[in-house]
Amino acid sequence: MSYCVHCGVELDPSLKKCPLCNTPVLDPNNIPYFETSSPYPAQRGKVEPVRRKDVAIFVSVLLLTISLTCGLLNRLVFSRNLWSLLVIGFCLIIWVICIPFIFYRKLTPYFAVLLDGLAVSFYLYLISRLTGSADWLYYLGLPITLLFTLLLEIFMLLTLKLSHSFFSVTLYIFSLIPLSCIGIELLCRNFLGSPMRITWSAIVLTVCIVFIIAIVTIILLPRVREEARRRLHF
Amino acid sequence: MSKNKRVKKPVRTTWYKLDLSAIVYPTLQRRDFSSVYRLSVLLKEPVKPDVLQKAVDMVLPRFPTYKSAIRKGLFWRYLEPNNRPGPFVQRDINNPCMPMPFKANNRYLLRIYYYDCRISLEAHHSLGDGTGGMYLLQTITAQYLRELGASIRCGGFVLDIHEEPDPGELEDAYMRYSNADVRPPRPSEKTYRVRGTKEPFYTLNIINGILSAQEVKKVAKTYHVTITEYLNAVLLYALLQKQESENPHRRLPVRIAMPVNLRRFFPSKTLRNFITMIYPSVDPRLGEYTFEEIVLHVHNYMQYYINEKLLRGDITTNAATQRHPLIRIVPLFLKDFVVRLFYTRVQDKNSSAGLTNMGALKVPEDMIPYLERFDICMGQPFSSRTNCAIISFQDALTIGFASSIKEADVERYFFRKLVQDGIHVTIESNRETS
Ligand SMILES: [Zn+2]
Repeated sequence: MSYCVHCGVELDPSLKKCPLCNTPVLDPNNIPYFETSSPYPAQRGKVEPVRRKDVAIFVSVLLLTISLTCGLLNRLVFSRNLWSLLVIGFCLIIWVICIPFIFYRKLTPYFAVLLDGLAVSFYLYLISRLTGSADWLYYLGLPITLLFTLLLEIFMLLTLKLSHSFFSVTLYIFSLIPLSCIGIELLCRNFLGSPMRITWSAIVLTVCIVFIIAIVTIILLPRVREEARRRLHF
Repeated sequence: MSKNKRVKKPVRTTWYKLDLSAIVYPTLQRRDFSSVYRLSVLLKEPVKPDVLQKAVDMVLPRFPTYKSAIRKGLFWRYLEPNNRPGPFVQRDINNPCMPMPFKANNRYLLRIYYYDCRISLEAHHSLGDGTGGMYLLQTITAQYLRELGASIRCGGFVLDIHEEPDPGELEDAYMRYSNADVRPPRPSEKTYRVRGTKEPFYTLNIINGILSAQEVKKVAKTYHVTITEYLNAVLLYALLQKQESENPHRRLPVRIAMPVNLRRFFPSKTLRNFITMIYPSVDPRLGEYTFEEIVLHVHNYMQYYINEKLLRGDITTNAATQRHPLIRIVPLFLKDFVVRLFYTRVQDKNSSAGLTNMGALKVPEDMIPYLERFDICMGQPFSSRTNCAIISFQDALTIGFASSIKEADVERYFFRKLVQDGIHVTIESNRETS
């Protein structure tokens, strides 16, 4: 029979710490007994997964049907070029985006975003094969896809690992928007052969910096934060 | 087997409307939240699972609203008799009151667990309240003990399983008693909410305090109040201390949501929900409250509110929304949306903690020698806070706290106050203690 020195409550023999204040049970005269069975079982339960198979099958069948019918139409009726590849590629993108939501919920969000990026890249590649032009793909399409995938990954990392409160998320968005704009402008200029400097994205950058400073102030001042939270709650 | 066939016949024609309280619970259902409560009984000998399963199979047909599945209609949900196999007894788990998806577990909204000497019943709140669940648990326990050779007469919470279910047990008693001429408005205001670090999904922290009912009664008497009033005051006191320690500058009223068993005032045999909420509170913005003042305040509040007249007004207000013809014809998904919005924005913010007291349990004389004590768990709180449930049997009074946050501050303030008042408390917990 042991008592918590802080709380004065008697503790069940199975407890090695007081659950109320986390003070360990120390009894110098008593060798700690290991095998006192807890009144609570050790085994943890898991909820039976809700069957989402129906939705998954429905979505897959729908996308597959669209792809197949378009493929057949392309082959048999409107067979001037391979337009059905665009539809099929688009269905593939939707399916890949759906994976973490309805097919495989345990997929880590980082990997899901990476897959999305790959799907979009593949789609762009299909377009370039169809149109027989490759320049824009290597200088614009793929780099922009890569840029967005990267920024999305950073956004995920920030929201999942750091704070995901309303203000922090707004802060992340306002920091990532100018980065993407600058990236797009520079890539466009590079592609068109214009001098490498920023114009319109500089405006976006300035506006966003103003917002960032405002949000950082709000986050740092608890009083302002409470007030803003109350006024802006939705 | 032949019995099953007999029950199978009325399947097509029987169904039950959800009662007035039960309407809300399925709406709040999330992937990580269900309104599930747990009642446990501790026997004096380890439980034999096969015998328990036999008892469950024999008893459940006597409780048609518990042997049921929930289904969606166009305008409302309803309960339908469930003849799928089960529910099967399972070995108990560390994290009770897990979410209960409606389509899992063969569509049963019940779980029965055994662990060592303990039988636990978990039920979804849409089937019924704690009193209804207690009928089921005690009838199962009595049948279990009978199978092992005990002779236990029916009475109290133990129903006769050879009797046909009484229609009164299946009724929605709210409808019978919500007949006041006015609908008193329900005040609601923003209250203090416990802040804490959320535990990962599937974790429910339990801290059980076991006290002597006599001792608590004696202490409550020194304040000239009942046990419920005293423990309510202690919880308010604990919440006030917690708020003070968090943010001494921005204070909000501290308020407890407490269900009142309406069967005490309106005779009904119903096994379904028949409770209403009252909200004892103190407002620290009015000034410092001493503990004695809180006790007195809670006592006066309860004296004022818990009587047949005001409770009748309260359930009339509740029923009015459900009876409104315009609300009735709104499709279910819109109702769900509005109810969920109202609940998260208003109702959930309306109280700082939940407290329920099942009171001193009556158990048939013949069964008493086989039982050690009863435990109760109010289940997972909707938001990050802690719920407190009290039950007493003979001299063992159990106070069970269930919370989904890491911090145990409220519990600590609560039990320390009891210790300060000279009550001996024994603590059990499923929290990680290594
Ligand atoms: Zn302690």
